[in-house]
Amino acid sequence: MTQQTQMETINLSTDVLVVGAGMTGVKAAAEIAASGYRVVLIDEGTGLGKEAGSSVADLDGEELATLDALVESVNGSEMIEVMTGTRIDGAAGVPGDFRVWLSGNDDIVEKSIGAIVVASELVACPLNEAYGLNLSDTVITQSQMEAALCENPAAFAGKSVAFMLGLAQDGNPLVLERVLKSVLAMENMDDASAYVFAGDLKVAEDGLERLYLECRDKGAMTVKLTEMPAIMQEDGTLSITYDDPVLQRKVELSPDIIVVEEAIGADQVNAALADMLKIDMGSMGFLQTENVHRYPVSTNREGIFVVGGSRRVKKRYGALMDAENAAIKVRNLLGDGTITIPANKAVLDIGKCTFCLTCYRCCPHGAIYWSADNKPVISKVACQGCGICASECPMDAIQIGDFNDADMIDQVTRSSTAKADGAPTIVAFCCQNSGLEAARMAELFGMPLPKGLKTVAVPCAGKVDIDYVMHALAEGADGVVIMACHNGNCKSEKGSLYASWRAANAQGMLEAIGIEKDRICFATTASNMGADFSGILMSMEETLTGK
Amino acid sequence: MIVAERKPFEEVRAMVKDFKKVLTVGCGTCVAVCLAGGEKEVGVLNSELKIARRMEGSPIQTGGVTVERQCDMEFLEELDGIVDEYDAIISMACGAGIQFIAERFPDIPVFPGVDTSFIGVNREVGWYEEKCRACGTCVLGMTAGICPVTMCAKGLFNGPCGGTNKGSCEINSDQPCAWHRIHERLAKQNRLQNILDICPPNDWRNQTPRTIVQPGYKDRLAAFGIK
Ligand code: SF4
Ligand code: SF4
Ligand code: SF4
Ligand code: SF4
Repeated sequence: MTQQTQMETINLSTDVLVVGAGMTGVKAAAEIAASGYRVVLIDEGTGLGKEAGSSVADLDGEELATLDALVESVNGSEMIEVMTGTRIDGAAGVPGDFRVWLSGNDDIVEKSIGAIVVASELVACPLNEAYGLNLSDTVITQSQMEAALCENPAAFAGKSVAFMLGLAQDGNPLVLERVLKSVLAMENMDDASAYVFAGDLKVAEDGLERLYLECRDKGAMTVKLTEMPAIMQEDGTLSITYDDPVLQRKVELSPDIIVVEEAIGADQVNAALADMLKIDMGSMGFLQTENVHRYPVSTNREGIFVVGGSRRVKKRYGALMDAENAAIKVRNLLGDGTITIPANKAVLDIGKCTFCLTCYRCCPHGAIYWSADNKPVISKVACQGCGICASECPMDAIQIGDFNDADMIDQVTRSSTAKADGAPTIVAFCCQNSGLEAARMAELFGMPLPKGLKTVAVPCAGKVDIDYVMHALAEGADGVVIMACHNGNCKSEKGSLYASWRAANAQGMLEAIGIEKDRICFATTASNMGADFSGILMSMEETLTGK
Repeated sequence: MIVAERKPFEEVRAMVKDFKKVLTVGCGTCVAVCLAGGEKEVGVLNSELKIARRMEGSPIQTGGVTVERQCDMEFLEELDGIVDEYDAIISMACGAGIQFIAERFPDIPVFPGVDTSFIGVNREVGWYEEKCRACGTCVLGMTAGICPVTMCAKGLFNGPCGGTNKGSCEINSDQPCAWHRIHERLAKQNRLQNILDICPPNDWRNQTPRTIVQPGYKDRLAAFGIK
C-alpha cells in the first residue's frame, strides 16, 4: 500500500548574505544578484575587492581588470547592499529563515536572510623566521614584492633577487605561481636577474609548467635544494651558500634582495564563523570537511555555502567557479521564494517530547532549533531526513517520513521471524546511500548471498535505532548486520558514526546477556561495492552457522 | 534533575527470573532526559530480557509503557487496568517513582530497572555531573554557588581542611578541592569575608524522610481535608 505523500509549501526569505568582499565574495554577490535575489555583502575592511579585510595580493593585470569590473558592477547594482566595516555578530534560524546580526562601527542591525555564503579569502603568512631572516628593506615577503612590482617596477632594474620557497613548507602550486609571476616580471626588465631556490616545485595547476619554462627560457636560474642553504643577513649584506647539485660543490651568491615565501592558508576568522554558523570545520582551518557529499560548495548545513579561500587553497579561477556554483545552489534552494517538501519528512510529536535537547544537540545538519516558546522544532527545509535525532530521542518522539517506528518495528519483526529452511536469519539494515545499492548490485550480478538474508532499508545508518537491533534479535533473528557508508563519506556526516556507536553498545548488551557479540556486525561500504557486500554477508552467515 | 543509570543486566535478569510476564514501566521525565529510563530504554530492556530468557529456554513475555512522571499519582492511573495482566513490574524511574508504583500496586512485585544516582546537571548528551545531595539546608549563598556537601569529600561547611593540596583534594589528586574553588570564586567576587564567617552546621537529624508542602498550598490541603 503506497500512500500519496502529503506535501507542504513553505515560504522562504530570499535575501542572501555574502560574508567577505574579496574577489570571490564580490563575484558571488554579482552572480547571486544576477539570479534575481537581493544580496547583503559585508566585509570587515574598508571596501570591496582589494580593499576588503583580507586578501592575498596575487592578482595580475588581467585579473585586476576583472576585479575592477566586478567591483563596479556590484557598486552599481540595486540588488546588492554593500556594508563595509561590518562583521557578522550572530546567526540563528534555518535555511530560508535565518536571522543574522551584523555589527558595524556603531550599531547592530538584524536581517532576515534565506541563505548565507561565506567567502573568506586566503591569507598569507610570511615564513622569514623559518629561513632565519628578519624582514627589512632587502628581505621582503612575496606580498611585498608583488606590491613593489606593481608600484614601481623600475626600482628593480639592475638588481638581483633571490626567491626562497618550498623549504619552509611543502611546495604548493599557488605559492609557486605567485613566485613565478614575479620572476617573470623581473626577467622582463633590463639586466635584472632572478634566482629561485626551491625545495620542490609543484606545477600541478593549469599553465604552471608553461610559466616555469618561460621563466627559465628568459634566463631565470632555478636551484633545487634538498636542504636549507646557509643564509647570512648582516648590515644589509646578503649571502646564500648552498650545495650546487649540478656543480657538486658549495656556491655562494650575494643577491641584492631576498624574497621569502609565504604560507597560504585559511583566515583565522573561519573558526569563529564555524562556531557561529554551526558548520563543521575541515582540516587546516578551512570550512569544509572532506566529504564527497559536500562538494563543491556545501556544508553540513543546508543554506550555508562556502566558497574560495574559505574552503581550500586553490587558484583564483577555482574560487570564481565556486562563486558560480554557490549561486546555482542558492537558486536551487530559494527558487521563487517557496519550497515544497514532504510534510512527514521529520515530525516531532511535542506531546511525547520531554525537552531533553538530545535531538537538538545531535542533529548534524543544524536542522533542529529551540523555538521562542521553548520547544524543539525541526526545520523541514534544513532537515536531510537522516533519522539520527529519531534514533537518539529517548521518547521516540520523532518520526521520519516513510521510516516511522511502527512500520520499521513491523518490518523488523517480519524479517526476524522469517525462516529459510535451516539457514540463519540475518537482518541487514542497509543505508540507502550505500549498503542498499551494494545489496541490489550483489543480487543483480548473482553474487552469493545468505539464504536467510532480509534487508531493511534505512535513509541513513543514523536511522538504525538500537531498539531495532535488539528487537530483531529478540524476535528470532540469528544475526544483525548494519551496512553504513564509509566514515567521512556519510551524507549526514555522522550517521555512520552514530550507527557504529550503537552497534558497539548493543554488542556490549549481548555480552552481558552471555551470547556472542559477533551476532551484531557493523560494516561500511559504498554503493558500487556489491562484491564487498556479498563477502561481508557470506562471512556473517558462516559465523552464524558455526553457532 | 535526578540522574540514574541502567542497572547491570545481570541484576535485572536475576530479579525477574521467576516471572513469566513482566511489565516494564518507563518514566518520561528525569530518567528519560538522562537517557536511562525513557521509552527507548524500556524497549531495549525488554528485548534484552527476551533474548536472555529464550536462550535459557524459559521465554518471557514483556510489555512496555512509559508514563509522563511516575512520581505523580494521576500519571500512574493509566497503569491501573494493565498491571493485572502481569506477574511483575520493572520500573525504570528513580527510586521515588519506583516506590510510588510499588505503593499503588501493593499486590504485585515491583523491581528497579535503574540505579538512582544523584541530582545533577547535563554537560553534554549522555554526560551528567552530581551537584546536590538534597541536604535540606542549602548553603550555596555562603559558598559562592559551589556545594560543599557534594563537592567536599568531608562535606565541610567551614573549609578547607588541612588536606587541600594545590587545588586538589587529599583523597585524590583528580578530585578538585571544593573549598579551594569556593575561595577562588569568593575572592573574585570580593566576598572572602564569607570564609571567615562561621557557617552553622546542618541539622543532620533532618535525615529522616522529609515532606514538604509549598507555602501557598498548606491552606489548600487544610481546606480540602487532605492528609
Ligand atoms: S532527521 Fe537528521 S537532519 Fe533531520 S532533524 Fe533529524 S537529525 Fe537533523
Ligand atoms: S530528543 Fe526527543 S524528547 Fe528530547 S527534545 Fe528531542 S524530541 Fe524531545
Ligand atoms: S519518578 Fe523520578 S525520574 Fe520520574 S519524574 Fe519523578 S523524579 Fe523524575
Ligand atoms: S548545600 Fe549542597 S546538598 Fe545542600 S541543598 Fe545546597 S546544593 Fe544541595
